[in-house]
Amino acid sequence: MNSLVLASSFTDVKPGLIIWTWITFIVVMLVLRKVAWGPLLRSVEAREKNIVSAIDSAKRERAEAEKLLGEQKSAIAQARQEAADQVRKTQAELEKFREELMGKARKEADDLKAEARRTIDEERLKAIADIKGEAVKLSLQIAEKLIAEKLDDSRHQAMAQQFAVDLSKKTPNA
Amino acid sequence: MKRVWTLLAVFAATSVVVFPAFASGGHDEHGEGPKDKASESSEFILHHVADDTEFEFELPFVHLPAIHIAEFFGKEPGQGLFIEREPGACSKPVEKSQEAFGSIFKFMNGCWDLRPTKAVLSMWIAMALLGFVLFLGRKRDQNGVPQGTFANIVEALLLFVRDEIAVANIGKEEGPKYTPYLASVFFFVMTVNYLGLIPGFFTATGVLGVTIALSVVTFVMTQLAGLRSAGPVGYVAHLFGDVPVWMKPLMFLVEFLGLFTKPFALLVRLFANMLAGHMVLFFILSLIFVVNIAAAVVSVPLATGLYMLELFVALLQAYIFTLLTALFIGQGVALGHHHHADDHAPH
Repeated sequence: MNSLVLASSFTDVKPGLIIWTWITFIVVMLVLRKVAWGPLLRSVEAREKNIVSAIDSAKRERAEAEKLLGEQKSAIAQARQEAADQVRKTQAELEKFREELMGKARKEADDLKAEARRTIDEERLKAIADIKGEAVKLSLQIAEKLIAEKLDDSRHQAMAQQFAVDLSKKTPNA
Repeated sequence: MKRVWTLLAVFAATSVVVFPAFASGGHDEHGEGPKDKASESSEFILHHVADDTEFEFELPFVHLPAIHIAEFFGKEPGQGLFIEREPGACSKPVEKSQEAFGSIFKFMNGCWDLRPTKAVLSMWIAMALLGFVLFLGRKRDQNGVPQGTFANIVEALLLFVRDEIAVANIGKEEGPKYTPYLASVFFFVMTVNYLGLIPGFFTATGVLGVTIALSVVTFVMTQLAGLRSAGPVGYVAHLFGDVPVWMKPLMFLVEFLGLFTKPFALLVRLFANMLAGHMVLFFILSLIFVVNIAAAVVSVPLATGLYMLELFVALLQAYIFTLLTALFIGQGVALGHHHHADDHAPH
């Protein structure tokens, strides 16, 4: 008898068991939803949100840093370019100034040289003229002493004059 | 070395369950004379896997008194939860043809035995264990990162239920709404399954009544999901399908049957898997007593292997039960989206 009863025992469905299972399960479900799953899922969701936003902000910051780095790089390149330009410009100016200075100096020197030459020429001509006058005077005195009163003045004057002219011709390139 | 100890522990554990049954040989027999070992073993096994009004924690050499759980809620018919609507309904035996589902016929005859049984007690123990594990796993740091083994296990399983079961089958929008329910089903079934694997305890999910109750809840949830999503009109419309008018009655029959076959398959699968695993385990071990003590050479390693398999099956069946529940809910939810898409409704 027992075997038969027991054999059917696991197909037996106890209505009481069904009701108790419902009660147990529903109570467990409600309690776990409130105490366990709710807070757990909320904290997981918050964490997931945190992670996503952390990744986003990291990406954003990285992009910003890269942008800044690019800006820095271009600024440095620009500064370098400007410095090089400045140096080149300064050099050109210096060169120009040097040339100007040189030109000016050369011109001054030339001027001085010309001035000196002119003065020399003038002095020479004056000296020649002086010497000529002196020579005329000397010749006249000499002639006076030589010929005394025998010759009249006008004739002597003319002769002396002629003499002086001849004299100046005989000394070329005075 | 650690592995050897684990194996030894499993051997010891299995022997704890098996030994008293076969060694102490019939404390509870009521003097029916000598029996052969085979029928004694099968009787023990069937007694172990079947729901009962009392719970015996079996230990080798020690005979603990049975916990008469039902008696706390009413000893005699008519007391407490042992309700007798018709006088004598509980003492009258059911007819031979009704024996397979005796309790249902007794219930219909007016004997409402609503007292908790062995299965209810083990569900309660399982839930206490689950609560304890969840309590141990409550530690998290200020960022909400779980701290410690239990917290990590609980969160890994919960996220598995959410991402791989709820969201995968119900969708990104509706999935998270059903996650607490699905997680409850998963943890409930899993814990009850695992409690049954601890030697001496009882597998409540191996009892038809428990799986029926669970799949009725699933059925209700599934229909509510469909109703909520599609509305009453859309819900009824889907029962007739997208077919020509003359085929509608046939379609209704098919769809209506389908409503019940789905949870029915669910309840039978869980029940049969949990029951069969335990029974096979016991039958293999009972060879030691039925055939020869030398059979232990084969049956103990085999039973150990099967026990390992059962450890996996306990998790697998909880997963399948939850997965199919999510699938059915997903179908119900999809019903509404399909309906709305056709109507160009504002939502």
